[in-house]
Amino acid sequence: MELTKLIARRAVQLVIVLLFVSFFTFLLVRLLPGDPTDIIIPFGTEAKKAQLRADLGLGQPLYQQYIDYLGNILQGNLGRQYSSGRPVSELVAQSLPVSIQLMIYAQLIALLFALPLGIWAAYRAGSRSDAAINTTGFALLALPNFVVALVLSYFIGARLKWLPTGGYAPGWLDPIFDGTRSTDIGGHFNYMLLPAITLALGQIAIYMRLLRSDMIATLKENFISMARAKGISNLRILWRHALRPSSLTLLTVVGLNVGALIGGAIVVEVIFGIPGMGQKITLAIFSREYIELQGYVLVVAVLFILVNFFVDFLYTILDPRIRRGRSAT
Amino acid sequence: MSRVNRIAAIAVVVGAMTLATTGISSASAPSRAPQQAKGGEITFGLEAESTNYCLTGAQLAASGIQVVKAVYDTLTVPNSKGEAVPYLAKSVKPNADFTVWTIGLREGVTFHDGTPVDAAAIKANLDSYYGAPDAPNVGSLIPIVLGFVQSVAVTDPLTVTVTLKTPVSTFPAYLYLTGRMGIMAPAQLNSGDACKTNLIGSGPFKVSSIRQNEATVVTANPNYWQKGYPKAAQITFIPVTEGAARTNQLQGGQLDMMHTSSATQIAALKNIGNINALTQKPGYREINYSVLVQSKGATAKVFGNETVGADARKAYNTALDRKKINQIQNRGTFTLANGLMDTKAPGYLKNAGYPKYNPKKAKALVAKVKAGNDGAFDIVLGTTTDAENSKLAQQVQEQLDKVGITATIAQFDQATLINKAISGDIDVLFWRNLHGGYSFSSDPDNYPWWSNYNTASGGKNAINFAHFNDPDTQAALDKGRTETTPAQAKATYTAYNKAFAKGNFITPMWYVNWTIGSQKSVKVALPALPDGAGKPLFVYGVLPVIGLSKK
Amino acid sequence: MDDLRPDAIPESSGSTSQQIVGESIERGFLGSSSEIALAAVETGPEGEASRKKLSIGAWLAIGWMGFIILIAVLAKTGIFTWGDPNESFVSCARRGPFSKEGTAANFILGCDSNGRDMLARLALGTWTSLYVAVGAILVGFSIGGLLGIISGYFGGKTDTFLTGLFNILLSVPGVVLALALVAFLQGSAETASKSSISPEVILIIAIGIVGIPLVGRIARASALSWTQREFVLAARSQGAKHRRVIIKEILPNVLPAILSISLLGIAIAIVAEGTLAILGVGVRPPTPSWGNIIAADRGNLFTSPHIVFEASLMIFLTVLSLNMLGDVVRARFDVREGLL
Repeated sequence: MELTKLIARRAVQLVIVLLFVSFFTFLLVRLLPGDPTDIIIPFGTEAKKAQLRADLGLGQPLYQQYIDYLGNILQGNLGRQYSSGRPVSELVAQSLPVSIQLMIYAQLIALLFALPLGIWAAYRAGSRSDAAINTTGFALLALPNFVVALVLSYFIGARLKWLPTGGYAPGWLDPIFDGTRSTDIGGHFNYMLLPAITLALGQIAIYMRLLRSDMIATLKENFISMARAKGISNLRILWRHALRPSSLTLLTVVGLNVGALIGGAIVVEVIFGIPGMGQKITLAIFSREYIELQGYVLVVAVLFILVNFFVDFLYTILDPRIRRGRSAT
Repeated sequence: MSRVNRIAAIAVVVGAMTLATTGISSASAPSRAPQQAKGGEITFGLEAESTNYCLTGAQLAASGIQVVKAVYDTLTVPNSKGEAVPYLAKSVKPNADFTVWTIGLREGVTFHDGTPVDAAAIKANLDSYYGAPDAPNVGSLIPIVLGFVQSVAVTDPLTVTVTLKTPVSTFPAYLYLTGRMGIMAPAQLNSGDACKTNLIGSGPFKVSSIRQNEATVVTANPNYWQKGYPKAAQITFIPVTEGAARTNQLQGGQLDMMHTSSATQIAALKNIGNINALTQKPGYREINYSVLVQSKGATAKVFGNETVGADARKAYNTALDRKKINQIQNRGTFTLANGLMDTKAPGYLKNAGYPKYNPKKAKALVAKVKAGNDGAFDIVLGTTTDAENSKLAQQVQEQLDKVGITATIAQFDQATLINKAISGDIDVLFWRNLHGGYSFSSDPDNYPWWSNYNTASGGKNAINFAHFNDPDTQAALDKGRTETTPAQAKATYTAYNKAFAKGNFITPMWYVNWTIGSQKSVKVALPALPDGAGKPLFVYGVLPVIGLSKK
Repeated sequence: MDDLRPDAIPESSGSTSQQIVGESIERGFLGSSSEIALAAVETGPEGEASRKKLSIGAWLAIGWMGFIILIAVLAKTGIFTWGDPNESFVSCARRGPFSKEGTAANFILGCDSNGRDMLARLALGTWTSLYVAVGAILVGFSIGGLLGIISGYFGGKTDTFLTGLFNILLSVPGVVLALALVAFLQGSAETASKSSISPEVILIIAIGIVGIPLVGRIARASALSWTQREFVLAARSQGAKHRRVIIKEILPNVLPAILSISLLGIAIAIVAEGTLAILGVGVRPPTPSWGNIIAADRGNLFTSPHIVFEASLMIFLTVLSLNMLGDVVRARFDVREGLL
């Protein structure tokens, strides 16, 4: 049972990586300067601060704090925000769905454009339109996130006034995470459209190029020439026969991006005022809310690792070369 | 259909749906709450989010106090004449020498959870505010401010007696404290750490939901003690830290109202055609100023130097072309401040004695300072990472450089900046605060902040950021809080103002005109205060909300 | 499925992108978005560029890079500054070249909201941005490259350990890691001595550390494949010490791969500096950098957009040029030759 052995091995790897990451985030946050008691009670007396430090468990040795921390995580307790006493898990439940929805919309928009463009560029490989598409893609790759965000915000938001330049209304995922009522779904999409487009632009270039590259190779294969010889139309060949085997890499990268985009949309969230994990992370760093920050970083890192392991694993099973290798042995 | 085809199909459908929905929504002005209840559901854009609403310990700024204004009542409020008049309380009366104050309450007022606003509840609140032994949730700042309170007692179910250690004639103003002294229900006060997020007051609105950094929704209190109010059905407070974004969202219709204290945004508001802008009138405005830190000892600063300190501070103030800074920072729309007070506060002087801009004289003073300080005049300017503050610091640095003062800019987050000021680790603190005072006194805002750094009892007054010890200002502050007539107060505080200017403890910059921007569909009414006490004062950017309504 | 070692992979079939992504995954790739982007850059038609002639685009890129390096050096040394980057003028505040009131005289690119000459600030900002970006990549290049080569050459436990280290660094979003590192470094600097390290150096270290795993993995992949070659085995069997083999045989062959990545990495570092500036972390004012010019006047975007646009254009053209040059280097030396 090769597969079971593989799964078992990967699972063990996963647990080890997760442990290391939890220790790493724990350590990272402990290394940050500044006494949290200074932010919670800046005008407090030394006695009060000492008391608060003890209450927060800050005086204990590092390994003890880590063990307590680990124990808490496993029970789902990510600690509390210093200034308000709110459980971090509550704050995560409020902001995670926002980031996830943003990621989904960005991916969908990216695919919406990348699929046809990639197919066309591959179909017309070497032609002028191919070169044009590719140059545009190359240029898009060079545009930083925040530049796109600011430019779109200015032209589409402020000048043309087609979309709002910032703000948020709960969408379809928020009620599932924290029971909030979504009274304005239309508004939700309004607010999310510009940020999603901003994130998508960079991804369009990447996806399009990956797809193009794979498709060009696929189009050279024998079964394509056979299909053409059979008289099947080009469009049908592209869509039904060529796309599927060429999309493995693309889908893999889309999957890998899922993890990357959840924590990586920080600047876009900040610029558009989207209350997702990215915005919360920034606020936590600047208000020295270390326990809260630790919680967010851990959640993002764990999600990232889990998604990647899953995609990783799927790819290993589905990679035609490995499959061919397997069937050869 | 193959799997990839299916995925592609879904993508196309969702994409189309999204675009269609967008098309529908953007046909009309996108708003956050399509359905409207009677009186309206108003969205209010705030400058910042507040995370801790346990009022006795929370350090709230204008944004937080605006929410407090909706959910809580204070015992007194300022009226447009600057008097602190009873509000939640029915009466606040002193004894002959202002050492015992009797607070009379109204009948039948209840908190949002139905418990009565009675003397026991008020005592519980005041005990926690001033720091009575064994009181729950005592903070660290307000006990310093209310350090003169001796004890609080319940005389009868509707009467509370407050005994003070020293006479304070302006005690009613302390029951407001720029809106921070909201009266919480005992259920909130006694709920330990949950006090921070469990808001229960007696105010016109009660909290419906709070999503941090997203929206705080408050709905009308049907049992509010002022009959017929509030007018609005619901207010949703939304923090939008970026000033330009807030203005833009007002313009785009995503917000019904917002507040701003930035000159750039106020100018932008005035340029938008179809909105109303309500600006604070001169008289009791917030002041933007710099604190020149005179710390000694381990963190000795040039401004606190025994020999050259006074000249150093004078050089700093003489070197700044405030008019130019005001022109660049605020497009000249803000008025330069003449001291720590605004025009209606007692002690206000058009010319208190601060030095005029004179680069030549400044250079001469700088040379003198350097001669007595080993040739060095290096200072650190402390500011937050906020773009506006940073720009101000850069302008100041540029001007100091022209007269030979080497200034480095150090940026910190707000909490760290306060700590640096308290510990005396920076030379200049760019600050903003309300020091206008009300009624006929400059209390309560000045006394705790500017009392001498070294207290009479040997301790340290950590919140005197300037770390100065000046007998003249201390004498004026001590005298001022016992005075009872406007004429007396004027004399005392005029002396106080002059002493400040003579010592160059601060650099006054400009008065801040808080402005409320609102859609034309929002009616911003300020109903008269109960018992004929006059009209409420729109101060520190905090707007009374009971009269707001939306068509 | 023990056949995940590089030598178990059959001859390359399938497209270039499949190769790159597939191989990376097999070697323990936890794709970060930068790596994905890098992979994408390499798979375009420019990536299939001929090794012989440089295209027009490449020449333009070289020209632009040369130009900005020149103005940066001139501005920093004070030889030619295009104006004063720190002097503020009331008459010019917030006015841009296309604003309603029109440009103030003598200011072609307008001024920022403090009334300072945009041209002068952009010129000096070029120095800061390039200095930080190149410095960061040197850190990533040297440390990451070294660790990657060691990891690929020695294999075994060293490899597992170092790869694990890279993976952990990559699991935290880059921006967050950089923010935390900056906060940590700033705090330590303050407590250590009165005069803190310059903010530029702090940024260099922080962004550099974030870049280590990126360079490290490429170096590792390259070193791994070269280590398998016969001539290396031959050298080892002749008794050559590890150090000698690495320096004489592995390093020269791995260098082109690292170089190509580094050029792309500089572009990423420039963007990173901008991102951090917007999030409130960066060089100390009044020192300008492309990033903090954008960050400082982001609030004036709707009324004085020229400030953000001018700095953004600089970033865009530079990143574009670097991407192109990185591609050219890779095509020239065909870095994937070793992966056959």
